[in-house]
Amino acid sequence: MSENEQTTIEHSPGFWSQAWSRYKRRKLAMVALLFIVFLSGVAVFSPMIAGTKPIICKYKGSIYFPCMGYYYSGWENPIFQKDKFRRVYPRNLKQKDPDSWAIWPLVYQDPYRPVRANEWGLGEDGNPYDAQGSPSSLNLFGTYKTGFDIFASMVHGTRIALLVGFVSTGLSALIGICIGAIAGYIGGWVDITLSRFIEVVMCVPSLVLILALLAVVESPNIFHVMAVLGLTGWTGMARLTRAEFLKLRESEFVAAARCLGARPTRIMFRHILPNSLAPVLVPIAFGIAAAILVEAALSLLGFGISPPNPSWGTVLNSGREKLQSGYWWQLLFPGIAIFLTVLAYNLIGEGLQESTDPRLADPRD
Amino acid sequence: MLNYLVRRILIGAFTLLLITFVIYGLIRNMPGNPLDTDPAMMDPSKMISKADIERLLAVYGLDKPWYEAYFTWLKNACTFEFGTSFSVKKPVLSLIKDAIGPTLQLSITSLILTYLLALPMGLYSTVRSGKTEERAMSFVLYMLYSFPSFVAALFLQLLFAIKLGDTWFELPLMGAHDPDYESFTATERAWDSFKHMILPVTCFTYGSLAYYCRFIKANMEEVIRQDYIRTAKAKGLGPIRILIHHAFRNTLIPFVTLLGLTLPGLLSGAIILEQIFNWPGMGTLFFDSIGTRDYPVLMTITLMFSVLTLLGQLIADILYAFVDPRIRYN
Repeated sequence: MSENEQTTIEHSPGFWSQAWSRYKRRKLAMVALLFIVFLSGVAVFSPMIAGTKPIICKYKGSIYFPCMGYYYSGWENPIFQKDKFRRVYPRNLKQKDPDSWAIWPLVYQDPYRPVRANEWGLGEDGNPYDAQGSPSSLNLFGTYKTGFDIFASMVHGTRIALLVGFVSTGLSALIGICIGAIAGYIGGWVDITLSRFIEVVMCVPSLVLILALLAVVESPNIFHVMAVLGLTGWTGMARLTRAEFLKLRESEFVAAARCLGARPTRIMFRHILPNSLAPVLVPIAFGIAAAILVEAALSLLGFGISPPNPSWGTVLNSGREKLQSGYWWQLLFPGIAIFLTVLAYNLIGEGLQESTDPRLADPRD
Repeated sequence: MLNYLVRRILIGAFTLLLITFVIYGLIRNMPGNPLDTDPAMMDPSKMISKADIERLLAVYGLDKPWYEAYFTWLKNACTFEFGTSFSVKKPVLSLIKDAIGPTLQLSITSLILTYLLALPMGLYSTVRSGKTEERAMSFVLYMLYSFPSFVAALFLQLLFAIKLGDTWFELPLMGAHDPDYESFTATERAWDSFKHMILPVTCFTYGSLAYYCRFIKANMEEVIRQDYIRTAKAKGLGPIRILIHHAFRNTLIPFVTLLGLTLPGLLSGAIILEQIFNWPGMGTLFFDSIGTRDYPVLMTITLMFSVLTLLGQLIADILYAFVDPRIRYN
């Protein structure tokens, strides 16, 4: 160390900034993180990437954003329904208002319906299907079912894939951390009862639990699937949190907090939880990967969200149904997408594990 | 030790009681019952009268509320009386007996293959840690570990059964046997079974192989840094003896836990893979009985699965004490 470096007072880096600097050094984990950021971008901007509704258009003197309808059907301006567009914008815009203009999504394809012939009024062809539906410049990833575009379905399916991962794992983390914290901190009979409960949920075959819970609602939508995955996937996190709390409740800083008169909830969530968060964070990343897998698997078994909603699993399932015909594009693209996303979350999980494990800390830090 | 065992078994029995109660409640409260999922009931000409439905429900024991029916089930289960399947009208145990063979055929083969390959690969990658070939191997294994088995199953089916159909590499798409299996000679039968097993066993094996390799390597990495390994090296022992005798034996503890956790998986089968390969095993039986609301079959399989899970945990804990003399239960 040189002379002038010694004169400046350096704050020693905190645990999380140390972990982040260690995480940044792992190239694959960084690539994985960037990939997830990219996917989130695709998810957020999916209606602007693939869709048949203009991003922005001027119609009869006003500016509209019909593409918002992809996020929530109520956000599509009612004027287009009133003017009988029937979801076909290009031809109708020109016919009903010659002065109108529109900015279109990058790819003119729709995840909810096949693009039919003559939508632009130029005499162009509609989407081909079955064996003719192989990847082409019109349908980048080919088509499935009766001419649904796979690229558009997958772009919009990204929203569902990421949402399933985040929401269901967030829910299971919430449940798992709360139950684990209470069991570990209070101990005694509470611990014994909660541990039994965790064991019972762990022993129940997860598919029975998922299917039984899904069967309770009449026609499950994606939020039911998320809720059910969240309600069944928390046991691992609960056990980890419990173990951490058991260890930390005996430590000096907890005793100090107790002496200062902090209430149990404050000790649990303000003092112990931040110190036990690192080991709990790792299973969250793996949990997201698992949730995405289970959602796709449920679609494959026919229990996922219903087909008009685009999801990677739905496309994969249609490829499975048509396996004998050998439509490879219906398997390859969704399969690769699921694989890459799961891989990315696994890499992130592992990166977190190694960068937050104090035993593996680099002496250079 | 005996004290510990008795306590564990008592707790296990209590947990089992809770699990079966919860499951019974869950599946009895799923919408629909075995009567209206029966395809014969969909035919309007065969619609049965209300009185008949009530009579049938009484025959099935479905007229009572589920918490009462649970105790009937429990009483029968205690005497190993698991009843008859609603949908195929066969004793549950004979259905399970038929399904368990094909499942074991896959899971045991895959388990043996996994161990045979994972041990040398794991040890090899420990020795060559950081070298180019080890990093390449780890990378490929990591890819395989993250590759969803159902996606792999579909890809393999597409490649070997469809795209390579009518060539030397053609493998059967699904099922455990050829339709003409009965007329085959013994060698033809063996060859046929072998061909049908290749794809499912591959899908069952590659993921766990990758997992086991990484598991062995991670544990070895930790052990190999210990002082006693340096001591052994300083004594002048050969590298292979150090690796196997001093290092690997000390990684057996986590390995044994893993063994305990694989026990239920051996018999339960994988529902999704069995569905994709149309394999007549436990996973398929289980999945079908969910669809037909076949309560006796569902309950028996759940009971079996829970017993195995708890037993696996217990065996792992007992084996702990055997492989690690430091652990004492009292």
